[in-house]
Amino acid sequence: MRYVRLTSKTRIGRALNSMSDKEIIIRSLEKVERRIRLNRLLRELTFGLSIFLLVPVLFKTWDLFRPFRGITVIVVIGLWLIGVIGYFAWRISQKSTLAYAAAAIDHRATLRDEIKSAYWFLSNPTGVHRSSDWVELQVRRAARKASDLNIEKLYPRSVPPTIWAVVGLVVLFVGLNFSPLSEDHNWAYLEAAPAFSLTPEEQKLLNQTKELLKQAEKLDQPQLIQQLEQIIQDLEQGKIDTAEALKQLEDLKNLLDEGNLDMANVHEGLDEMAKDVEGSETKEVSEAMSEHDLQKTAEELRKLAEQLNSEDPAGMQAIKDALQQASENSNPSMQKLANDMKQAAQSLSDKDSKAAQDALNQAAKDVQDLQQTMQEQQAKNSASQQIQNLQDQLRQRQQQQQGQGQQQGEPQMGAQQQGQDGKKGQQQDKAGGDPANGQQGGANSEGGEGGKEGQPGQAGQQAQSGGAAGGQNPSGSSHAPMDIMGAPTKLNVKLEQEKLSGVNDGGSPQDLEEASKQERSKLDYRNVQSELSPAQKDVLNQDKIPWEYKALIKNYFQAIRQPRGKE
Amino acid sequence: MSTAIDQQVETFQNQFKAVRDEVSKMIVGYGEIIDGVIMSLLAHGHVLLEGVPGLGKTKLVSTLSDVMHLKFSRIQFTPDLMPADITGTNVVQEGTAGSKVLQFQPGPIFANIVLADEVNRATPKTQSALLEAMEETTVTVGKKTYKLDTPFFVLATQNPLEMEGTYPLPEAQLDRFFMKLKVDYPTVESLHTIMNRTTRLEEPKVDRIADKEQILEMRKTVRAVPIARPVQDYAIRIMLGTHPRPPHANATTMRYVRYGASPRGAQALVVGGKIRALLNNRVHVSCEDIRSVAFGALRHRVLLNFEGEAERIDTDTILKSILESTPEPS
Repeated sequence: MRYVRLTSKTRIGRALNSMSDKEIIIRSLEKVERRIRLNRLLRELTFGLSIFLLVPVLFKTWDLFRPFRGITVIVVIGLWLIGVIGYFAWRISQKSTLAYAAAAIDHRATLRDEIKSAYWFLSNPTGVHRSSDWVELQVRRAARKASDLNIEKLYPRSVPPTIWAVVGLVVLFVGLNFSPLSEDHNWAYLEAAPAFSLTPEEQKLLNQTKELLKQAEKLDQPQLIQQLEQIIQDLEQGKIDTAEALKQLEDLKNLLDEGNLDMANVHEGLDEMAKDVEGSETKEVSEAMSEHDLQKTAEELRKLAEQLNSEDPAGMQAIKDALQQASENSNPSMQKLANDMKQAAQSLSDKDSKAAQDALNQAAKDVQDLQQTMQEQQAKNSASQQIQNLQDQLRQRQQQQQGQGQQQGEPQMGAQQQGQDGKKGQQQDKAGGDPANGQQGGANSEGGEGGKEGQPGQAGQQAQSGGAAGGQNPSGSSHAPMDIMGAPTKLNVKLEQEKLSGVNDGGSPQDLEEASKQERSKLDYRNVQSELSPAQKDVLNQDKIPWEYKALIKNYFQAIRQPRGKE
Repeated sequence: MSTAIDQQVETFQNQFKAVRDEVSKMIVGYGEIIDGVIMSLLAHGHVLLEGVPGLGKTKLVSTLSDVMHLKFSRIQFTPDLMPADITGTNVVQEGTAGSKVLQFQPGPIFANIVLADEVNRATPKTQSALLEAMEETTVTVGKKTYKLDTPFFVLATQNPLEMEGTYPLPEAQLDRFFMKLKVDYPTVESLHTIMNRTTRLEEPKVDRIADKEQILEMRKTVRAVPIARPVQDYAIRIMLGTHPRPPHANATTMRYVRYGASPRGAQALVVGGKIRALLNNRVHVSCEDIRSVAFGALRHRVLLNFEGEAERIDTDTILKSILESTPEPS
């Protein structure tokens, strides 16, 4: 058998010979149509994509300067994707016809409408030229031309120039995502700006708070750190807004304040106990207590326990009296120590030195425990103070944002109006001591902690109208003006209704109900949330001079006191 | 069968080329005019030649008749020319028995090629005597209609300069002309050739190339050429584009045109396109063929409005804008 190797051209030629003129033309047109559609799609899709890609690039560029939240990014990118898919579907669904392909190939190959005419004759065989020899000849000629056409050459697969724009935009978009800008968030890693980001100062406060809370973990409140972190995390993720975060921080602070040790009371108890043990035998103990040095107190108590064996009866009696006197201390925070003292005094009365030593050692241990408790309480107080500071920072930012929103919402507010408001604010600042101006007046002029309470309240509104010139930040620094804005404070007082006996117009008795003249509020005062820290509450509630400053104040007044001879 | 058609097309081309070449022996530098005239003859139409005197219009027609061996007559249109001077009239004749009978004496229109020289100088009444002959190929005198010999081909000329005392052809008359060809001055080179041929002792002579039967056969060949609907649609859209009405009219048409071409304009486009296709060895009409005959076929069918007349807008300008604004079928 003889095999003949057919060239591709020969095979194509034989295949064409086996096909009718119509099949040749239709097949050629289908090929042309596919190629035209492919090139058109490439051109249109890349062009459309280059336009569409501008959106995420511009969006990402905007994100660099003002980071968007994840939900915003998802929504925008989602809408963008829907638009892109819709555009792609629309363009892909646009299919050209074979008649269009015939016209196109006629134009491209300069066939002077030969293929188009032939295709029309083939598509409309029932026309006036039906079974015309001329039509057959025309179709035959067109088929010959179609078979000779080099579709690849006429319609090469072309890469549209816009593809480079698409590539460039994609590279730019990726580059923007991976740019080293600090505010950048890489969308490729599904990262986006948190709903709320802490400033470095706030982050520092948060870290300090956590450290303090770790120190205070021994107060059986280990969950506080997790709660604090959860609040901040929720805030950053946008699960809660700033107001809710402030509320939760307040709750956390209240939780932290539960079971607070009254430090002043402890110090007072120590002072009282120091006076009780002022005897010569227990002088060192008294001095250590008066100095509030609990470590030294514990050491002196242990020394005293060791000295019991070497004491003479008089000394023993003096120690017993001192301990007996100290055991009568009624300060609640000193009850444990007082019991130890009482136990030691009782043991000394029973001539049981060993038991007395044990009791004193136990007292030393209790003193050390008290010291530990006081240190942890100080850490708690500090943590509470830091939470308060964090709250202040967040509240200040919230107010600033509200102020910006109001300024944007009321751009028509002129400088003249602001100037008038500023004058009012100055006048109100001058009248800061006037009780009618509320707390904020005093806070603004004095810059004390009391200003915090006035920020969201009515005084805050006054400060707003007073302009930045009159406001100060909560720290009281006069160098840092603060825009205090917000709704005026409303006292949610709901007076109780009381029944009164009255007489109506007809003269018959009638029960009336009106607001109580005694003006008793239904709201429980205990439910009013305070923003003061425990330390601040201690100071304010005790209404006494802090023990640390007693000596200083005494010296001050002694220094300014006029000599007796001059009175 | 296709071989026969191919042969038919080839014969058409050869005869056309032969006639053109033979006429070109006498007429120099007017290739397009000659083509237009022959095309009009083969399209069963008539031609209006517009040009200043002395450009060889009459010579062209007489030469064409000589080449095709057709009966030729010339009518010089003057204001006192009467319709009967064209169509002929019944005259009293003495019969064999001495009786008087009315006998029709055919006018010069009874020819194959009629040259209506300076047709716009005759009165409209006389001009209209050509209407029936040009469209129906018949002449009615009295109560009797006479059939004209085929092919019947009217070639009218008019002088665009001396317009005083002339009667512009009415729209109906203009619409009868298949083409209006503008005869411009020949080029310098052509003038040299004309001088060389006409100022010597021997004048060029033309041979008989075709006869009546061949022309009629060529006419049949033209009519047999198929045209696809999209191309025909293109011709129709061009024709409709000459009308100052949407949606086919463009801004130029809307502004300057009063009336556009009649369906005869589209017919002229299609038939002219067929001839062009045959001349290009094609058996189908292309849009390019339609465009190539558009100026000659439509320029006399576009009637300008007052603004167009006032601004001396050339109808060719309007046709050019129409061709540019009419997209090819896709």
